[in-house]
Amino acid sequence: MSQAPAAILQDVTKKIGGRTIIDRVSLEISPGEVFGFLGPNGSGKTTTIRMMVGLMALTAGDITIGGHSVKTSYAASAAQVGAIVENPEMYKYLTGYQNLVHYARMNPSVTKERIDEVVKLVGLDGRIHDKVKKYSLGMRQRLGVAQAVMHRPKLLILDEPTNGLDPAGIRELRDYLRRLSREEGTAVFVSSHLLSEMELMCDRVAILQKGKLIDIRSIRGPANKTGEEQIAVFDVDHPENALGVLEGRGDGKLEDGSLVITATREQIADANRILVEAGFKVYGIRTRTKSLEDQFLEVTGGETIG
Amino acid sequence: MANFWNLVQNENMKIYRRIRAWIMLGFVALAPIAISIIYIIASGEFDANNWEMMTLETTILYQLITIFTVVKAADSVAGEFSTGTIKLLLIRPWSRSMILLSKFVALLLFAVVQMVLLFVVTWGINALLFGVNSDASGIIPSGSPLAGHSVWGYVGLMYLYLFIAQLMIIAVAFMLSSAFRSGGLAIGLSIFVLFSGSIITGLLSLTDKAWVKYVLFANIDVTSYLNGSTPLPNQDMTLGFSLAVLAGYFIVLNLISWLVFVKRDVAA
Ligand SMILES: Nc1ncnc2c1ncn2[C@@H]1O[C@H](COP(=O)(O)OP(=O)(O)O)[C@@H](O)[C@H]1O
Ligand SMILES: [Mg+2]
Repeated sequence: MSQAPAAILQDVTKKIGGRTIIDRVSLEISPGEVFGFLGPNGSGKTTTIRMMVGLMALTAGDITIGGHSVKTSYAASAAQVGAIVENPEMYKYLTGYQNLVHYARMNPSVTKERIDEVVKLVGLDGRIHDKVKKYSLGMRQRLGVAQAVMHRPKLLILDEPTNGLDPAGIRELRDYLRRLSREEGTAVFVSSHLLSEMELMCDRVAILQKGKLIDIRSIRGPANKTGEEQIAVFDVDHPENALGVLEGRGDGKLEDGSLVITATREQIADANRILVEAGFKVYGIRTRTKSLEDQFLEVTGGETIG
Repeated sequence: MANFWNLVQNENMKIYRRIRAWIMLGFVALAPIAISIIYIIASGEFDANNWEMMTLETTILYQLITIFTVVKAADSVAGEFSTGTIKLLLIRPWSRSMILLSKFVALLLFAVVQMVLLFVVTWGINALLFGVNSDASGIIPSGSPLAGHSVWGYVGLMYLYLFIAQLMIIAVAFMLSSAFRSGGLAIGLSIFVLFSGSIITGLLSLTDKAWVKYVLFANIDVTSYLNGSTPLPNQDMTLGFSLAVLAGYFIVLNLISWLVFVKRDVAA
């Protein structure tokens, strides 16, 4: 994993009217990863995204995309970005296709064949020649995704993309983003105020609160091999007694007749050995990563979201 | 980077793919025909001078064209902000300056298209109804620097001078549209400039103060030079002077549009 980062945010700060809206946010997004940007409403997600795509100037810090600074070589950085910022506002009096032609003209790499390809990809082929004013919000989201990926950007930025999508649409988007990151190596930066969505979609999640980055967590994969705590569910013959035996080793409790402990990978192995040596029958152990919600509540000190 | 003309094509698409652009062009094409026919019905005869009818209709419809173009100019930037489409427009690999320039170019083309249409229709319909009159002395005032010259030269210059005035009013509308991002304000104020120009010039002519000749309103209508007079009779003004003053205003207006558009954070 020595690939250059797709995007680097370095001490990004935004002040508007004396108020600090974004406070020294730093993060790196790697090629091929889906990076979540989680935070309650008003925490500054959209403002950060506006700075990444050149809609707003930075007060301090810098953002580079594919090695090009948005401050000093904007056109070169913008050529590598596809984005939807808040709602995908399109020209309503044009057809979906004319909208795509409009954006394609601004990017020399997009051919007519490529437009047709993305139209199919987002499943708008039946309605692409209708005026956008006749589209549902879900269809507009799809058109928004089409214009964002048309030029095969290295970094795809989606600001709360699941707004207005039904559960099937959300699932489809999730699968599509995974494919895009795995197969094309696109870095995907998705913001949301919903924890549950981020968990299903992202490899890593940065948590933003009142303009400050308070944590960056891995959702799955490498995290489990480190000292990160997991939740392990032990299926044992006498859970109450087993809980007593494990007293003082991690955070244990009973849940639906099973013994549940929160512990690191090594501690789970230890606990298993102790139980077996103490004569318990262990029928099975299931682990799950601590849900993002648990993590989120932990780092924000229990402050509610939204 | 890609071709600048692509950006202009995009702006053209946003102008001509709306039905209202075609209603505007329809008005410009049909109104002169209606005026000529009404003249015939009202006077009961076919003996008008085609050149006189042409310049009369041009003077009237030039104002309509200016209003139409102002409406498009007001929408050009402010409209993209109010609908939020500005966001997806500005995140492309193009500088904001080029995007703004493409909008201005498309507006000028829209004005030119209407002026050409007006020229063709006002000449065509009046030549058709009244024949081409060889005596053009009636329309060129005796004091005009073009007196005794070809009528084509006179009419051509008239169109050019009207277009210059139009250019200034479009620049005002465009500046208000991009600086205040309010289409209503842009339309209101620039139409005020269009219609109050002659009244304000009249007021300015009451004073002998030297500075009044630098006021925009006093210079905007350069057609007075074509007829052998000056906008402000008490002032020492020439065509060259007025053009220089207008160029100054034009630069300042567009500089404001540009600075505001390029610098401002987009929070639409
Ligand atoms: N143009 C602006 N002027 C002043 N304050 C703003 C502006 N845009 C956003 N804010 C403030 O910045 C904060 C972050 O907003 P935003 O980035 O939209 O949050 P999010 O997208 O996470 O909901 C909010 O408190 C909002 O009120
Ligand atoms: Mg937001």
